[in-house]
Amino acid sequence: MAISRRAFLQSSIAGGAALTAFGFDVTPVVAQAKTLKIARTSETRSTCPYCSVSCGVIIHTLGDRAKNAVPQVVHVEGDPDHPINRGTLCPKGASLEQDILNERRLLTPQVRRPGSDRFEDISWDAAVDEIARWVKTTRDATFIAKDAKSRVVNRCEGIAWTGGCTDTNELNYLVVKTMRSLGVVYLENQARV
Amino acid sequence: MRESWDRRVQRAEQLVADSGPAASLLAFYARLLRQQRTVYDSLDDRTLSGAIEQDAALIAGGATAVLEEVAAHGPAPLVAEARALLACDASAIRALLVDHWRTRSDRQFFAKAILQPYGQRLVEAGRTYQRSASLSGERCPRCGGAPQLSILEAAGAESTDGGSRTLLCATCLTGWPCRRVRCPACGEEDERKLGYFHSETLDHIRVDACESCRRYLKTIDRGRLGLAVPLVDEVAGAPLDVWAQEHGYDKIELNLVGL
Repeated sequence: MAISRRAFLQSSIAGGAALTAFGFDVTPVVAQAKTLKIARTSETRSTCPYCSVSCGVIIHTLGDRAKNAVPQVVHVEGDPDHPINRGTLCPKGASLEQDILNERRLLTPQVRRPGSDRFEDISWDAAVDEIARWVKTTRDATFIAKDAKSRVVNRCEGIAWTGGCTDTNELNYLVVKTMRSLGVVYLENQARV
Repeated sequence: MRESWDRRVQRAEQLVADSGPAASLLAFYARLLRQQRTVYDSLDDRTLSGAIEQDAALIAGGATAVLEEVAAHGPAPLVAEARALLACDASAIRALLVDHWRTRSDRQFFAKAILQPYGQRLVEAGRTYQRSASLSGERCPRCGGAPQLSILEAAGAESTDGGSRTLLCATCLTGWPCRRVRCPACGEEDERKLGYFHSETLDHIRVDACESCRRYLKTIDRGRLGLAVPLVDEVAGAPLDVWAQEHGYDKIELNLVGL
């Protein structure tokens, strides 16, 4: 049958019954199609950041990519095509959506003062200034240029660094460079993926 | 297996009873499925050679039931075509089947409907075929058919376990695995050019579309509805076809109601 794929649409536009390519009347189907609320979702492959297993995940993001629309992550699931996890996720990886969408997520730096029982918000500028001041003070006080046998070691044992599992490669690169330049030896950044 | 045809018929009857907007399409499809089941029953895989030129005579013998059913209950264009075929001798039907097996056009309603039971019989008997070099995109590894739809299997008890994707062949009705984020028509894997459209009204069906080639196919998510019978629920999702085609997407393979 030499009927184009959109033949039913053409007949609909012409005012007649809406017909499929084989001549079926789909007028009620067209009527329902006009009432459907259709949402566009994209699937993005990514890697779980939580441990060195590096499971594959698929992130579902709702949004039609219009300029005035904010994309919204609606679901995260294991990637069934990934050779490591074949679609499965551990309980921590299964909570990835909450790593992205979480009303308890911190949006500003916080500090807990000596003797205090709570964290308090602090501005980014104040945090940077205070960290810089404490790093300088602590390093000056605890820097070891030579060990007991007079060997040059140039290390700072008064400062330690630990990173989080969701830190990016770029952040971890900068952390290592910065900490090594300060002489920090107690350094863990959880760089795994 | 015959049970697969029984499940399709029962699911179609169930959806007809639900009186949704696609009920009239499903009522016809249920009739067609019963006749396809008859064709399937009439074929014995021990007598089938796997060469369409030799098997066409056997298939054509059972095709009359399909033609008569459509002539009695189909839409006008198919009724006219059915009557014309019924008036011809068996060689015309054999030629139609052989031609369709070689060229695979989704516009040839009768050849596709009659050859589906044959294709399924052959695959169940473990036969495979040479894929034609002229066929493009994802093709059935057994018979070279285009995908009618895709299926997301329910992977596990947790909703965060990703279900694997299977494409269902429009010719032999068997499945083969396909990557989740990939266009079956052009092979596009750029996530920015792929997406799916979904409505809560038809919660377990979605339209997987590609912005590179503007083709689409529907996906049946068995994680959302385990009772779904993909081939039948795909027809029940007709409103999504209308929506997709109104928005400029072309379906990879029209189904047997022409959507």
